[in-house]
Parts: sequence; C-alpha cells; structure tokens
Amino acid sequence: MTEIQSDRLQPTCLAPTGSSSTILIALLAAAVDIGASLMLRYLDLGTISRIAVALLPVPANLGLIVKIVRSVRGLDDFQKRVHLEAVVIAFLATALAVLTYGFLEKADAVGPMNMVVVAGFMGVFYALGYHIAARHYR
Amino acid sequence: MNNRIRVCRAEKDWTQAQLAALIGVSRQAIVAVENGKYEPALPLAFKIARAFDKNIEEVFLWNGTNNE
Repeated sequence: MTEIQSDRLQPTCLAPTGSSSTILIALLAAAVDIGASLMLRYLDLGTISRIAVALLPVPANLGLIVKIVRSVRGLDDFQKRVHLEAVVIAFLATALAVLTYGFLEKADAVGPMNMVVVAGFMGVFYALGYHIAARHYR
Repeated sequence: MNNRIRVCRAEKDWTQAQLAALIGVSRQAIVAVENGKYEPALPLAFKIARAFDKNIEEVFLWNGTNNE
C-alpha cells in the first residue's frame, strides 16, 4: 500500500484490543462461578458463609462486564450496530422464550425453569442475532 | 445514497482490507458501505474520501434516498 496518506490518516482501532485478557477474565469468572456453585452444593456452611459464597462470583463477573463494555467501546460504528442488533434480537427472543416457558410451566407441561438455562438462551440467541445482523449488511 | 468506493479502490489498486486498515475500521464496515448496505456517519465518510485524496462528494453521491 502506498504511504501517501500516512501523515493524515492514522489507523485508529482495527479490532477490539485485549481480547485475550477478556477471555482470561471470562475463564476466571466461570471458575469462580463453578467453584461457588460447588461449595454451596457440597459444603455444610452456615447462613452467613453461604451468603458470602453466593456473592463470591460478583467481583469477577463485574470485572468481566467492565472488560466487555471497554471492548465494545473500541469497536467501529458499523460493528457497534451489528452488535446492537444482535443484543436486541437476543433480548427479545429470550423474553419470548421465557414467557413461553412460563406459560408451559403453568400448564404443567414442563418442570420449574433453571435460571442457567436463561443464560444459555441468551447466549444462543445472541449468536443467532449476530449471524442475522452480519448477514444483513454483507 | 450511492458511492464510488469500488471505483476509487480500483484506481488505487487497494483491497477492502487495505482501505479498512488505512482508515482504522473493520473490513466488514468497508464491505457494508461499499455495497450500499450501511450508510456511514460523517467522520467515516470523510475518512474514506480523504484516503482517496478526494472530496466527500466525489466518493458519496446523494440520490435522495436511503439505501439501508
């Protein structure tokens, strides 16, 4: 590529920076989540200790949220739009799924919902939404 | 809005990835703008035009309608 514009146009952000550290924090948060879950299930703890263990995942997950928000701020406008559409699709589809499951639960067609499943729905619908949005602009 | 990005790129013999790297956006953004699927905000439109050493009106042509 020529260098004619190098004095006028400097590459700013080509990709979200620090993606490896985001993955590291996500793994750490997941480890704390699983650890806390196992401790609550298998250890015989007092009420205060159980509450403390239940709140143990909060700092790591907050750190993950901050990291993801910073990554999103590093995206260009087009990427932000695609992610926004993916989030909208994921939010609405998850709401619909939970609503439908709630009605099925009232109809005694299914058992009580596990909240982890809701997070799974969000993840799947987000991936689907991203695919749809990215395809729309291709 | 139409644009002449493909023509301008051909004149410079640049790929979409090279143009994207030069102005600091993702290649997907260039693809979407070039195909008329995404209308860029003014800063990006100016950056694209300046990358080609052209005025914004020489690259982006307003036809009175939004393509998106």
